[in-house]
Amino acid sequence: MNAALHPASHRPRSRLRRLIAPLVVPQVFDFWASRLHPTWSWERPLARIVGRSEASADAVTLLLAPNRNWAGRRHEPARAGQHLMIGARIDGALVSRSYSLSEAGRADGRIAITVKAIEGGKLSRHLHRDARVGDVLELGPAFGEMTLPARVDGRWLFVAAGSGITPLMAMTRQLAAQGMPVPLTLLYWARRREELCFVEELRAIAAAHPNFRVRFLLTRQEPRAADEDAGRIDASLLDAHIDDLAARQVYACGPGGFVANARGLIEARAQAFAAEAFTPPPRAVEDTGTVAVTLARSGRTLELARGESLLTALEAQGLKLNSGCRMGLCNTCSCGKSSGATRHLHTGDVHAEPVSSLRLCVNSATSDLVLDL
Amino acid sequence: MTASKRNRALTPTELDRFGAELDALRARTVAQIGRVDADYIRRVVAVVRYTGLLGRLLLMVGAIGGAFVAWLFWPGVILGTALLALSKILENMEVGHNVMHGQYDWMRDPHLDGKTYEWDIVATGDNWRKTHNYMHHTWTNVRGMDDDIGYGLLRLFPEQRWRPFYLLQPFIAVVFALLFEWGVAIQELRVGRWFTGKTKHRAMWRKFVPVGRKMGKQMLKDYVLFPALAGPFFLPVLLGNVVANVIRNLWTYTVIFCGHFTADAEVFPKESVRNESRGHWYLRQLRGSANLSGGKWMDLMTGNLSHQIEHHFYPDLPARRYAAMAVEVREICGRYGQHYDTGSLPRQFGQVMWRILRHAWPSRPRARRPLVRAEAVEAQG
Ligand code: FES
Repeated sequence: MNAALHPASHRPRSRLRRLIAPLVVPQVFDFWASRLHPTWSWERPLARIVGRSEASADAVTLLLAPNRNWAGRRHEPARAGQHLMIGARIDGALVSRSYSLSEAGRADGRIAITVKAIEGGKLSRHLHRDARVGDVLELGPAFGEMTLPARVDGRWLFVAAGSGITPLMAMTRQLAAQGMPVPLTLLYWARRREELCFVEELRAIAAAHPNFRVRFLLTRQEPRAADEDAGRIDASLLDAHIDDLAARQVYACGPGGFVANARGLIEARAQAFAAEAFTPPPRAVEDTGTVAVTLARSGRTLELARGESLLTALEAQGLKLNSGCRMGLCNTCSCGKSSGATRHLHTGDVHAEPVSSLRLCVNSATSDLVLDL
Repeated sequence: MTASKRNRALTPTELDRFGAELDALRARTVAQIGRVDADYIRRVVAVVRYTGLLGRLLLMVGAIGGAFVAWLFWPGVILGTALLALSKILENMEVGHNVMHGQYDWMRDPHLDGKTYEWDIVATGDNWRKTHNYMHHTWTNVRGMDDDIGYGLLRLFPEQRWRPFYLLQPFIAVVFALLFEWGVAIQELRVGRWFTGKTKHRAMWRKFVPVGRKMGKQMLKDYVLFPALAGPFFLPVLLGNVVANVIRNLWTYTVIFCGHFTADAEVFPKESVRNESRGHWYLRQLRGSANLSGGKWMDLMTGNLSHQIEHHFYPDLPARRYAAMAVEVREICGRYGQHYDTGSLPRQFGQVMWRILRHAWPSRPRARRPLVRAEAVEAQG
């Protein structure tokens, strides 16, 4: 779950499609195709929600049926541990965020995501509260390196906190489906019991596979069940639940602070350590000093001064950019922004949402940015 | 009465306040943009698609069916052509023009993306984004900078130098209206510069390639593919397509000319945009634009260019917002002693035709009255 937009990778077209492509206007095709079936489209990867279930007090699991344009349906199937961009229309505008798959590799080609409603999170709240079976979502290709190797061996430890459980759950499910070929322990932190996801299922897997052990660790409640314990992640708690850390290959996933702690406690002691943290959502908004602006297409990163229009600042770095009016009028200078916060120089408003059109001539950077340039 | 008599020159302080009030109106409107605007544009797109499909179907019914059942012919062909023209007008005005201004970019819908939208006329979206969004909107009615003043073909203002060629203008204007989309298509090519040798053949060819490709695509669709579907009865379908395109041309020409070439519309010399303030820019947009009154239908059919003034103030806001903004804009203009040029279509177009006829003949510019006056003058008066 990190906030970078990834370009949609287009699947190779069939010969027929290549042949008629020059004659097809995608927006016309999509209009009529979507009248016939909600996810039919010329090239947009879309998915329909076909199942919805509560995963915890504040999380929901959505089962998605992607259309044929989604890369995972043909080549490179999505793997447990990966995430993908999900987009939904909220108040008329498309809002996209990246979510981990909680289930991948199903025989019917469907995928599941588990979404925790986040305070102030537009999309997560929409998916949690308003998304219904039958709704159509935009999909990106699955990406992410934290997946299980093709041949699993050794001893494993998964360390999860909050929604960090999602990719690790997908991998646990995958291992369970293979009959749990290796010893695996899952340590799963949450503030309270109601916030834990997949509890029943995890207990069922533990009951069915002696190789699998799960421990729920609560930071704001006392333990009740035998597989529960209380306390934040620290050395003594780790030692209490895992006695062969040195022999374990460890995956950790959770909020930035948690992952940093886990890394400090585990990396030096375990056999292998891999981790994935969610990008911390709030970004510092300031108008002095410099920011790092990443140009996604050219792969460059530039240091730019805050407080100056991005167009002038980028041009000062020698970039040749399209521009016209230089006053926010003609839309010539606009480009996509996939992350970061900008300030509109006329109105002073700060915008932190990813957008498809940022007018460089009338916006300045207030945090690090990623631009589609 | 000339515009300058109806308008008073503002002091720099007034000009700043004028601009600030219009900016504030903009901010209030931006805050409201959301689902209703998205639903609206999607509904219009749906109307474009359905009327287009129905129009083409009726053309087929008229062309093919008419060959067997005679009474089907005229109703089918006429109704089909009318619906197709309606579809094309809406696509051109309310969808194409407005989407390409980036009015719906906030929706993040790739099909309604201002930077990539391609509309259903022979002109390419890319060229339009340059000549219209940038040149015309930034330098509205500034001589030598806004090509839309007469499209390099007509003399509409006495400030333009007269040449005997302009005596043909009443005739040329009619041809231009009939072929309007082609005129727009070659506008950015600046064919004149090529004729006079200022543009090299190679450069011209490079600029022409994308334009030619778009022209070919449009012709293939309207004049080959769809007529071919009617087989041996292709002729009425072909004619229906030609007529629908011509109707659209005449309509868009009318609307666009009414937007900037009414009796009160002014042109400005290049000097006037040097170090132009925001208020000054607004004022210039106001003095160079004119509205059409006529209510909801007029708004829809013109893609809200019936609110040309509001469009020029806020080209990137969803056009369906203009009607509501117009009430306040008009009130603000009134308070600052600025004439708000609006009138019925016959009235405004009558003025346009008068301009075309009048300035075909030599005419002398009226005395210029500045938009701004010095602060000190106000203190004395
Ligand atoms: S250059 Fe015209 S909007 Fe930025």
